Amino acid sequence: MTSLITALALVALLPVSSWGLEVVDQVGRTLTLPAPPQRIVSLVPSTTEVLYAIGAQDLLVGVTDFCDYPPEARRKPHVGDMLSPNLETLVTLKPDLVVATREGNRKETFDQLDRLGIPVYLVDPITVRDVLKLITDLGELTHHREGARAVTHDLERRIAAVRDRVAGRPRPRVLYVLWPEPLIVPGRGALVTELITLAGGDSVTADLGQGYPRLSLEAAVGHKPEVIILARHGSRGGATVREQWQRLESMPAVKSGRLYTADGDLMHRYGPRMVVGLETLARLIHPEAFGQSEAARRGAAR
Amino acid sequence: MTSRARLAWICGGLAAVLIAVALGSLLVGAAPVPPRAVLDLIAGRGPSGGTDRAVVLSIRLPRIAAAVLAGGALAVAGAGFQALTRNPLAEPSILGVSGGAAFGVVVAQVSGLGQGVVDALGLAAFGFAGAVAAGLAVYLIASSGAGLPVHTLLLAGVIVGIFFSASITVLISIVDANRLGGVIYWLLGSVAPIPPGQLVIFTLVTAVGVWLVLGQARALNLLALGEEGATELGVDALGLKRRIFMGAALLTGTVVAFVGPIGFVGLIVPQAFRMLLGPDNRVLVPAALLGGGAFLLAADTLARTVVAPAELSVGVLTSFCGAPVFIWLLRSRVARVEP
Repeated sequence: MTSLITALALVALLPVSSWGLEVVDQVGRTLTLPAPPQRIVSLVPSTTEVLYAIGAQDLLVGVTDFCDYPPEARRKPHVGDMLSPNLETLVTLKPDLVVATREGNRKETFDQLDRLGIPVYLVDPITVRDVLKLITDLGELTHHREGARAVTHDLERRIAAVRDRVAGRPRPRVLYVLWPEPLIVPGRGALVTELITLAGGDSVTADLGQGYPRLSLEAAVGHKPEVIILARHGSRGGATVREQWQRLESMPAVKSGRLYTADGDLMHRYGPRMVVGLETLARLIHPEAFGQSEAARRGAAR
Repeated sequence: MTSRARLAWICGGLAAVLIAVALGSLLVGAAPVPPRAVLDLIAGRGPSGGTDRAVVLSIRLPRIAAAVLAGGALAVAGAGFQALTRNPLAEPSILGVSGGAAFGVVVAQVSGLGQGVVDALGLAAFGFAGAVAAGLAVYLIASSGAGLPVHTLLLAGVIVGIFFSASITVLISIVDANRLGGVIYWLLGSVAPIPPGQLVIFTLVTAVGVWLVLGQARALNLLALGEEGATELGVDALGLKRRIFMGAALLTGTVVAFVGPIGFVGLIVPQAFRMLLGPDNRVLVPAALLGGGAFLLAADTLARTVVAPAELSVGVLTSFCGAPVFIWLLRSRVARVEP
């Protein structure tokens, strides 16, 4: 009997001891974790959103100043901004895992964390598929598989619903403005470019360059977009940027009233809210597919 | 040839150059608009809508106007500061005056000034206030009993410039860290199309600044003899210096408010004309106004075409041209003035 209990205990212990070997982060690095992470610091706003969405928020002990969604996330201890997190604050939170990204954080930060013996899990989502995988992987990592599965199912269902709505409709030429000055647009491989395609539009800057290239205003106008979508960042500046474009009144998109602003966080963050971004884009690009009147459409866009 | 006729020839020639550069600038760009269509639109014969119209009349034309105004204003400001300090290296960005103006403009922006016409006046006023504060600080740091030693003046300018750029970073980090990238880009200096109402304000304020400097060109020539000499000849030296300082600060503050702190235009253009035309401010200042406009417009046209469809900041180009000129001046002239 005793030996049986010992054997059962050993079996129960096995998965725990295998943690040290199993964890491979999103860029293919193998991490050695002594136990499943219990105290996570997220240096990536989208990861913070994912952890909340899958129900793993209690494991989150620190976030960046930019982690503003869901609103409760603001109440977690802050470790500074993404580029220069405060290492002392970070260490005092005693994290057993830090989640970071190569795009928004700096390599110096990872090196410093390495020297301090804090494991860093790197995420590197680029496409919609990557985001779904990220949610699944973070579910595995935090033992919230059910929550992750519920989120990915919901996302897949809503993405398919948008795709069905816009299928077979003419694809308008869309200019998405990520940042007005300097003018930055989504290029090849950007998440927004993919979302615009899924929403039934053709991004005029899709082949321009990798990621988020700079573009001159004149070149953007020269692409003759039929729909212009300006990203809004936070509460400031949206109206000003809109006015700037409104002045280009001889442009077809402006003349026909197809100049919109939309919440940029929904389009650029590799988190579960990207599906809200997709639905927003689809409604702006194909209002007719959603049975919206002209007035309602304009009201919603502001 | 009388001096008046000479001035007329010089101004006429430079105006012709400016018009030629402006025409060339209208014809090139990232969006392919046929030259014929450009000329039609300028002549008011083009279609009333369409992409070409937006590109030529709403993007290229206001940008050209802004570049010409900014270049002329900066060159006159540079000529003014050089006459004022009797230092060939004095220039708004090197003296830290642009930095002060930039701080003023950022303060105005974070306190909510936007794109309207009244806002434009406010931005220019804040830029002017920042420029005056920085100019006074540099003067107080650098002045000694013997006047304004050349190297001390430059060092004081650099320090004040660094101080104000650090202040801008702190201010933006506290108020709206998301905007930091945009502000750093703006600090490089780049010309963008300016709405018509703002363009009017820009033109009027620039005219006032140019008048303050140009109106005293003859007295500035006398100031070059030294303050005592100028006073003996009936010049109110202190009043003159105040007026020139206000004019140059106003020009700098306005340019910074509308296109950002573009460096070295105030150095290159007056220096080039001083070598070509001599030191007479009555010729130098109007030549700097027209030549500065043509120079910055040419630089901005390059900036928006060389890496098309992307764009360079014009401040990067002017610094490329300006740094060698500055080094050359530092090695030759200043070495002779002050061993």
